[in-house]
Order: sequence, then structure tokens, then C-alpha cells
Amino acid sequence: MNNLFRPREFVRVKDMEEATQLLSKFGGRARVIAGGTDLLVSQPSHVECLVDLSKLNLSYIREEGDAIKIGAATRLASVEDSPLLNSNPYRVVIEAVSQLATPTIRNMATVGGNLCNASPAADLAPALMVLDAKMTVVGAKGKRQLPIGDFFQDVKKTVLGEDDFLVEVLIPRTSTETGAAFQKLRHHQTSIDIAIVNAAARLTFSDKTCSEARVALGAVAKTPIYAKKAEEVLVGKGIDQGLREKAASVAAEESRPIDDIRASVAYRKKMVGVLVRRALEESARRCGVWPK
Amino acid sequence: MAKVRIHLTVNGKDCELEVESYETLLAVLRDRLELTGTKKGCGKGECGACTVKVDGKAVLSCLTLAAQVDGKAILTIEGLQEEAGLHPLQEAFVKHAAVQCGYCTPGLIMAATALLDHRPDPSEEEVRKAISNNLCRCTGYDKPVKAILEASSVLREKEHGR
Repeated sequence: MNNLFRPREFVRVKDMEEATQLLSKFGGRARVIAGGTDLLVSQPSHVECLVDLSKLNLSYIREEGDAIKIGAATRLASVEDSPLLNSNPYRVVIEAVSQLATPTIRNMATVGGNLCNASPAADLAPALMVLDAKMTVVGAKGKRQLPIGDFFQDVKKTVLGEDDFLVEVLIPRTSTETGAAFQKLRHHQTSIDIAIVNAAARLTFSDKTCSEARVALGAVAKTPIYAKKAEEVLVGKGIDQGLREKAASVAAEESRPIDDIRASVAYRKKMVGVLVRRALEESARRCGVWPK
Repeated sequence: MAKVRIHLTVNGKDCELEVESYETLLAVLRDRLELTGTKKGCGKGECGACTVKVDGKAVLSCLTLAAQVDGKAILTIEGLQEEAGLHPLQEAFVKHAAVQCGYCTPGLIMAATALLDHRPDPSEEEVRKAISNNLCRCTGYDKPVKAILEASSVLREKEHGR
């Protein structure tokens, strides 16, 4: 255990105001805690105050107007079991969560935790990115909402300032002829190994032509990224095997992985091609467009 | 340092405690409550030797601060037996020689009991998935899995017999 993780205070705040006040007061030396499963592994040494969010009612998955809203403190296990998310294309989120860490960890870990920890390999990120999710952040200056694509800034760094915290993830309702899928490559030596590469795709069809495409990649850049050039390859066409392979190879070119303990640049680039091709195939299948 | 006052129900008993902000549930169970059945293996969430039940769900106590579970019901291996004699999971582990060094065993059994609470008739795949956070260096998992499947059948019979 890291001897330096010694917060002086643990406060179960009763409302958002108390939370932002504490975060401001401690100026970067306070951290919010929900599940704690990333915080207690990283055990950062400068933390003086833990702001526990469990009384803020941030654990929910509900339909409201044109969207599905997920509270930032929702346990991953609840996401995995959610009937609301268990349909096209939102099922891609369940697919990602079910491969994230382990069932035991998912009983405590939260949606907000995975996203705000901002590992480039965060499994929820590509799945939510292809669904064009929006993030609601609360801070001393009030509430703001931003697209998930703008949320990640660098390795383990988001746009969240010292007194900000994530409160909700919103998934806009999409048209019916849309399918999305997630793929993760990991070593299975221990079941909680993080992604070597992960990827998600979403395809929307009108009249057998792709009207909208999203491709998102994880663990191959400083943050999760959209493979925009790969998306451009797909739009306006019928999606046959040749096109899927072309888009996958363009996505591989767009990726910017590094060599690390899990894999090499070359292997990761190759695997981007494989995972994107599989995700595109499955996405097409899920909107009933049988892949040729 | 400001201590945190918490109330836990541990194995059915009410406990009022004053803990440090940074004290894990594992440390509180072992060092303050002297319930040493729950083990520290890695201290970082990978081995599962510290698995307990919190409000019925399997949780890694090394990755949970005691302050986080204020007000909740904790079940450790010591609290598993309800009657005299071993719990069917414990019986099955012994019968199937699923215990060698025994270090992973409490965590494995707590993960198993959490599974059987909501999946009384699990498939082998479901069992393996439920114990995927429990590492064992001795048995190769085969016998623990068989033990859990047998225990599930014993528990189902007991349920029907009521």
C-alpha cells in the first residue's frame, strides 16, 4: 500500500453545492469518490479531502424526453443489467461494460469513475463516443454540458477543473435503423487486464445506404479518439465487405499507438484494423443489414 | 486527523466504529474487528482474496474505504454459517479437495455465495465468470468450480425442502 495516501477528511456531501464548495476550498487537493475502485489503486498522495457522492442521487438510468440519461455514480453492474439499454444501438454500452474489469469490481465501480479516470483505454469511452453522448459537469461556476469527444484532453486528464465533477452522461435517442458494436482485445492472463486496443462503431442506414457512421478507438492515442477518416469512407455507400475492410485499414492508419508493456505499435495498428472490421460487421448486422 | 464515525452491521452484529478516512474495509475487518478470515493478497484489486459481501453483493474490501460502507451490512467468511456445521459451500470445498493452501478460499467462497444468492442454478460459465476476480495458485480452479456447482444443487434442494 502507498503510505502517502492519507486524506484527512471524508465528507458524505448532502448536495451539489456542498460538493463544489469543498472542491474549491481544497483547491485540487480534494477528490470526489463514488466507487473508489480507481482511486484506491492509484492512491494519489496529495489528497486531503474525499468528497463522497453517495447522497447526491447520481445513480440512475432513465429515459427522459429524447434521451437516455445515466447518473455519473451509477454502478457498472447496474448498467450491465439495464433493460433500458438492452436494445439497439444502446446495447453497445452493455457490451463494453461486460468486458470492463470483473463482475466483483463492477459492483462498486461507476460510469463516472471510468470516464473521469480518463485512461486512454477506458472501455466505456468508445461505446459512448459512437452514441454521441453528452457529459453534464457541475462546478463552482454552475452546470455545463459538452460532447464526449471534447471531454478527454490527455492521458488521465479531462476538461474537469479543480472544482468540477461529472454528474450525468446523456445518450441521445437515435433513429431505428442504427446498430452499434464494441470490440476489446485484452490478454486473458488475469481477467481484469485493460485493453490492448478497444474500438466501437455505429452505422445508420436509410434505404440500404449508410447515412451516418461513427468509429471510435481506445488505447491507441493519448485519449480515446474518433477515426474520422474511416467514418468518411463509409458514409453515403452500401456497406459491403470491401468497404468495411477499407474503413478498418483507414482507421488503423489514423491510430497513433505507442509501444508499451502490453503490445507494440505495429501489433496495435494491425489489431485496430481487425477490431474495427469486426465492429462494423456486427453494427451492420444489428441494424438488420446483413453484411455481404 | 478527523476520524469518521461509522455504523456497520458485520455478520449480523451492529458495530459503531471510529475509522480513519483512508482506512479500507479490509483493514477494519482484520485489524479492528479481528475477523482475519478475509485475506489481503495484493491490496490492489487483482487477486480477490479480500472479497466480502456488502449488502449482498461481492465487493473487494481492499478497494473499499470503511467510510464508504457506513450503514451497510457486511458478511465475511466467518458469518457464512447459519447453523451448526459447515455451510454447503464450505462442505463442498472440503469434499472436492478445492482447498489447498486455503489463502484464496474465503474470497472464493464469498464470491460464490454472492452468485448463488441471485443465480441459484448457475451454469459452469456463470460460475467461472463470477469468480474471475479470484486468483488461485494451487488448485487450477477445476475443483473449486465443481464444488460451487455441487453446493448450488445442495442449496436448491434445501430450498425446496422448506
